[in-house]
Amino acid sequence: MKHLILIIGLLFTGAEALLAQQISVKVADMTTKEPIVQAHIKDGPNSVITVTDVNGMFTVDLSKYSHLTITAVGFAPKNIHLQRGMEVIYLNPEVFRDQTELLVLANEEGEQNVHAYHNRTADQGMDQFLDNIDGVSTTKRGAFGWEPAVRGQSDQRMNLVIDGMQVFKACVDKMDPITSYVETNNLSKLQIDKSGSGVAQNGTGVSTVNLVTQKAESAPTSFNLSTSYRAPDQYRTVSLSGNTSDASGRNAVRFSGSYKKAGDFRAGNDRTIQNTQYEKLNLNVNYRHTFPSKHTLEAGYIMDKAYDIGYPALLMDATKALADIGQIRFNFAPSNNDFQFNTAQVYANGVRHWMDDYGRDVANRQVMRGMYMPMYGTTTTYGAKLNGAATLFDHQFDWFMDAYMSDAFGDMLMESLDPSIQDMLIYNLDEVKTNNASLGFRHRIQLSDNVLMKIEESIRYKTLRTDSESHASFFQGLYGEAPGTRAKFLLSGSGSVLWMMNNNWSLSGSLVYSERMGNHMELFGHYIYNYTDGFFYDGNPWLKTERSINTDINATWETTGHSLSFTLFHKQYFNYIDGVLGTDSGSNDFRFKQYANVGDAVITGGEFRSFNDLGMMITLENRLSYLYAHNQTLDEPLPLIPPLKGNTTLHFHRGRNMFMADLEWAAEQNRIAEISSIEDQTGAYGIFNLTFERRWMDGDLTSIVSLNNILDHYYHTHTSIGNIPEAGRNLMVSLSYQF
Amino acid sequence: MNIQSMLGRLMAVTALLVFAVSCDSSDNNDPELDLIPINSVTVDGYTVSLEATNELEIGANQLFWKIKQGDDTITPQSFTISPIMDMATMSHSTPFDQPETDAIDDSYLSNLAVFIMPSGDMGSWTINFQFTTQSGSDISGEMPINVNSSWKIMNTQDGNGKKYFVTWFEPQRPMSGNNDLTFLVHTRETMMNFPAVSDAEMIVYPYMDMGGGTGHSTPFTPPVATGNGFYEGDINYSMSGLWTTTVELVVENDTLPEMVFEYSVIAK
Repeated sequence: MKHLILIIGLLFTGAEALLAQQISVKVADMTTKEPIVQAHIKDGPNSVITVTDVNGMFTVDLSKYSHLTITAVGFAPKNIHLQRGMEVIYLNPEVFRDQTELLVLANEEGEQNVHAYHNRTADQGMDQFLDNIDGVSTTKRGAFGWEPAVRGQSDQRMNLVIDGMQVFKACVDKMDPITSYVETNNLSKLQIDKSGSGVAQNGTGVSTVNLVTQKAESAPTSFNLSTSYRAPDQYRTVSLSGNTSDASGRNAVRFSGSYKKAGDFRAGNDRTIQNTQYEKLNLNVNYRHTFPSKHTLEAGYIMDKAYDIGYPALLMDATKALADIGQIRFNFAPSNNDFQFNTAQVYANGVRHWMDDYGRDVANRQVMRGMYMPMYGTTTTYGAKLNGAATLFDHQFDWFMDAYMSDAFGDMLMESLDPSIQDMLIYNLDEVKTNNASLGFRHRIQLSDNVLMKIEESIRYKTLRTDSESHASFFQGLYGEAPGTRAKFLLSGSGSVLWMMNNNWSLSGSLVYSERMGNHMELFGHYIYNYTDGFFYDGNPWLKTERSINTDINATWETTGHSLSFTLFHKQYFNYIDGVLGTDSGSNDFRFKQYANVGDAVITGGEFRSFNDLGMMITLENRLSYLYAHNQTLDEPLPLIPPLKGNTTLHFHRGRNMFMADLEWAAEQNRIAEISSIEDQTGAYGIFNLTFERRWMDGDLTSIVSLNNILDHYYHTHTSIGNIPEAGRNLMVSLSYQF
Repeated sequence: MNIQSMLGRLMAVTALLVFAVSCDSSDNNDPELDLIPINSVTVDGYTVSLEATNELEIGANQLFWKIKQGDDTITPQSFTISPIMDMATMSHSTPFDQPETDAIDDSYLSNLAVFIMPSGDMGSWTINFQFTTQSGSDISGEMPINVNSSWKIMNTQDGNGKKYFVTWFEPQRPMSGNNDLTFLVHTRETMMNFPAVSDAEMIVYPYMDMGGGTGHSTPFTPPVATGNGFYEGDINYSMSGLWTTTVELVVENDTLPEMVFEYSVIAK
């Protein structure tokens, strides 16, 4: 009996302890290990529970608040699942966010200033969202798969990654930018490093866009079901996402899926643009396990399937595009060791892309007349990343190791309408292998109380080769030498300084040096058609290293409710890689170029962004960007450079209602490339959009009505291949239910 | 596991890998002849066999001869051949070399023969052979052969009716990518004598007709004379499919009527 009473007593004691699980935890700077004072401990985006004291400590009831968001000025916010025994939570400094902008895509209120962007309309797709960010433009070939360009640099001159993973497009005609593989309902944030100063991490020193996907969270089970319909293109989409975790919070699973389908869209003045339809399915699952040691293991998989994608600007359409992207990531618990690991990641992905022109009038077209040309491309990539921090001789630094290998293949079959003509086959890429390994370091040096310096360096070893004898022999015939394996050591480095002048003004600047080896298509591509200039391109395995120096200066002014940011940059290229006229094919129908180092080029410009809280729950946001890009050898503008363009957004938010008026505009572009390309001038335009959003059922149900291009303006952007116009007036209705 | 231990294991694995790679000493570079039998005849107890890499066809063929007495391969003091096309009302020979000990396999005698017409209703081919054994016996015989048609030989003639035969020597299997481009040129002095021509100029132009009135060429290096009737250059096929290569001979400043080789290029 005594034992029974003792057991019951212990149970009650334990229950009492469970019911009142007060836990005290310290919040500290990951770099200096110093406590962070006045850090906000939030239960959700805006509800602050408490703040840290002078020792960086806070105390909460674990039974009430197991999942917290911690924010502090100058540090990246952190979502964390509290557990007993947790003593210290480290936050990463984020003082250089003017160069590494944080773009939050969740449709929730958050930091409202020039450092963060918010996708205020949940129905907006990735392409449209990217296209409206200052300093970012998209190259368009139709209604789907817009290719992002940062400061006029796209494809091989920028680094586009998913959760840091290299994913190479399979289509040699660039129909499948990897942004198309991450849906907005699976996106946590976009990290855009316009200057490329994050050299240690990106390994290249070029502009970087990282699509960070949503991960499983230790949180109560939740679901979100959304659906949209847009007229007149009959775009409809349905998406479902959910997150759940077990009682301990140690095992969490998140999944999301979306399906979308669109018909031909209608440009301004009621002109239907044929062949702009598409259909797409995207699935994502993510699992996270938290070990008692506070290490976490994450496994993620993305499957994306797109069908029947019309590309009116191109000779053919994509019939099928498949991507399988998997990763396993191990996040080490913070430690105070002199040598520590942060994350280890292994990944693999495969992309396959089919396209053909069986639905086109091939008998009467200008290029490749009288034949069908089904094309297939595939890339397979494996990679591993490891990073951490170390202290050596009282100097602390972050280190990053990155390695990947990729295999690319692409071919084109040509089937003549004339039955007497034998089928023809070209290998655009055949057994082309890329291997890359890099090691980078990042140092933060506090020069004074208000001046911080950051220095990053990276060394990279990259090789490119083809294992196909016949493919290699083509380049041997073209250049008189067997290409073998092309290998280079590539160096990159950056230095950045942030000067917090006073409570309102800050000045920052960076200098980035980058070396770039041509990519697999620039070295080993064969007969790759370039839609911007109408030439077929052959690779050049003997390209010299392209070098660039980028200078950035930013001034930011912030007060409560008002902020503005102004950035100027100048990028000088040396040994710029571009196409030069190749062997005469003896035909006016087929014109060839070969990649070569053509000399020097320059891209300079600036971005302006302001955010003003006008009171009365009205906010005003302005974005402006301009680029001047010039091929100094040819003395003509670089192609596909957007003109001066901007956005003005007026945002009114009251209670459950949100109203947004948006003006998108661009000046005319008269600086065009006529030697290296066949561009034409583009006229100015301005379009006006309205969005109304209302929340119902305590915010569980959200309805959105968007009316875009209200004046039904007929226009196209300068970066639209083939001058394919943009959508005319369209109406979109969306519903989103959270439960 | 400490760092030293990890490094030790890493070095051990590396050493094993290096050892494994270095132990892979298999040598696949020994060239071997891959031949098919064409015909064989037995005369006075000696069996003369003819082999080749492929079925014989018009154009250039490498012929491999082996002489056996019983199961023993013998090496004759001399061995000569003479290909003859019997066309009932007339007969003629073709460009050919006399057999010599093969450089790859010395149990064979080999020679180059350029057949200028196929076997068929027009006539039949026979190769007359004669050899002297080590004991001094002279043996002779004839071996009928079949020669198939192919695209690999064309002919043209000058204003005096003198015929020139242009043989596509390389590539035997045209393939996408870079290929050696070699022609053989012979002329006909008599019906039994077809000497090599090494002082002509050769103009070539590869072209692919893609239908619909479109087409294109591909990078190439024009063949130049290198002796014994050979003209060597290279051709870099951009794609597989049906190609033509037009050949013009310039002999003593006289450009002869063009010849067009039409053939398929394989992808790989």
